[in-house]
Amino acid sequence: MGDLYTTINSASTLFANNVLTKPEFFIGILVFIGYLFLGKPIYDAFGGFIKAAVGMMIWNVGAGGLVSTFRPILAGLNDRFQLNAAVIDPYFGLNAAGEAIKMIGMSLSWTMISLMVGFGWNILLVLLRKYTKLRTLFLTGHIMIQQATTCTWLVFFAIPELRNITGAIWIGLLVGTYWAVFSNLTVEPTEELTENSGFAIGHQQMLWVWLTSKVAPKIGNPENSVEKVKMPKWLSMFNDNVISTGTLMLLFFGVIMTILGEPYLRGMDKAGFPATLAFPTYILSKSLSFAVYLFILISGVRMFVAELTESFRGISDKILPGALPAVDCAATYGFSSPNTVLYGFLFGCIGQFMAIAGLFLFKAPIMIITGFVPVFFDNATTAVFANKFGGVRAASILPFCTGVIQVMGGAFAAWYFQLYTYGGWHGNIDWDTLWPAIGVIMKNLSTPGLILVIVLMLMIPQFQYRRSSNKANYFKTADGGGL
Amino acid sequence: MIKVVAACGNGMGSSQIIKMKIDKVFKKLGIQATIDHMSVGEARSAASSYDVVFCSASLVDNFSCKNSRTKIVGLVNLLSDVEIEDKIKENNIL
Repeated sequence: MGDLYTTINSASTLFANNVLTKPEFFIGILVFIGYLFLGKPIYDAFGGFIKAAVGMMIWNVGAGGLVSTFRPILAGLNDRFQLNAAVIDPYFGLNAAGEAIKMIGMSLSWTMISLMVGFGWNILLVLLRKYTKLRTLFLTGHIMIQQATTCTWLVFFAIPELRNITGAIWIGLLVGTYWAVFSNLTVEPTEELTENSGFAIGHQQMLWVWLTSKVAPKIGNPENSVEKVKMPKWLSMFNDNVISTGTLMLLFFGVIMTILGEPYLRGMDKAGFPATLAFPTYILSKSLSFAVYLFILISGVRMFVAELTESFRGISDKILPGALPAVDCAATYGFSSPNTVLYGFLFGCIGQFMAIAGLFLFKAPIMIITGFVPVFFDNATTAVFANKFGGVRAASILPFCTGVIQVMGGAFAAWYFQLYTYGGWHGNIDWDTLWPAIGVIMKNLSTPGLILVIVLMLMIPQFQYRRSSNKANYFKTADGGGL
Repeated sequence: MIKVVAACGNGMGSSQIIKMKIDKVFKKLGIQATIDHMSVGEARSAASSYDVVFCSASLVDNFSCKNSRTKIVGLVNLLSDVEIEDKIKENNIL
């Protein structure tokens, strides 16, 4: 009996040391099991394991590069101006939250457990739709990774006694409730925009989509659409994410490095900044290397998310056929003119830049750096919905406001949750409004606060159902059979 | 065997959706294809080595392929099997 206990004990220690602390193998094994569960051949499962593990290891390379490029600049800002900086972008946020989780001695495997719990909880909530009034299944893999990671940090930060397996389960329930409830809230506006195409939004601005559909009609007239506005042709080059990211990084880090000054940087970065190298060349190559490491990180995430999404789809097809899929916000862009997407991006940029100037003028302790994903995708989505429900006037005013709130909320969150130490915050609009509020509640009320948040969120669909005018249509499922 | 790429803004979400959807429709129509997915930025550079580029209708203008090989297909509803099947037939993709 004692022998058996010792064996189990040492096996679990072996597992903890070699799998739990190595999230790349943990996620690989999950994908492997998922594929077998779906009845795929063993060589497919093996391939899935390799791609998931390699993808996560590529992500680590990108994250390491971002951290080492960023560290001297963050230190310099702190050293010379007592200033902190954070890029508001989900990938910089993922990086920052990941570093913070490792710093308190935890591993990203906890995040993966939360992710699985959240996905399972979402399925369960939809299975019980008669009672929960929830209809949508969140299937956007890369978003689920980012949100589960940030949420893990929020809970670990706010409630230190939950830094364990119980905590990982609570985090899964919390983030899974958000996925189910808020994607469900986007069903009506999305169905109206897409003329009943049978999908909802599962992304980072679900609260915002709903709010926009309520506020936009009060601001403008849908008859005056953005489609009639002529946009300069050069703006469309910002559809290219490489150009957009490179330009933003060059703009912001160029200014920061110019302010830090040549002598300071020469003293600080002796190896990277030899006497033969001119200052402008140094700025150009340093700024663009942020874009480089970001793309390495993104391609790693893409590789393993592709495996994960396949498994998720397979599982949901088996357990929950015909559930309304909640997918990437960009799936709505085809239902609007290309103009609208760029229009939102432009006004979001103006809002963000003005708010950043405001932070600077009022000497805020945190400086915010615009990241591509929130400023492009949140504001483009806001513009698409604003245009549908309130025309060109709403499509200019609402993305502008969103840009301002992204910066203000992002600055608060980066400071309050201490992720400025790692130079990033999630930055998408729901994560600059709803989630900081959830974090503050948890910080003050601890575990009861977490439970309270889950209960409050679960009440939303009850009101939604009660207020829906056509109850017979409420549970209409996707005709195409989901994804 | 044709080479196909699905493209979207960041090469993460909607291109993955397009990829899964066209995979399903290709199987139904018996078309053999390898399908990659990436961002518009990457796909613009790589487009000429593919037979077909699928993307959201709002992104079609980003591609200007001068060769006779590459077809650019813009989709309004990324999740519609019917639309994808119609566009495949319309563009003579085999």
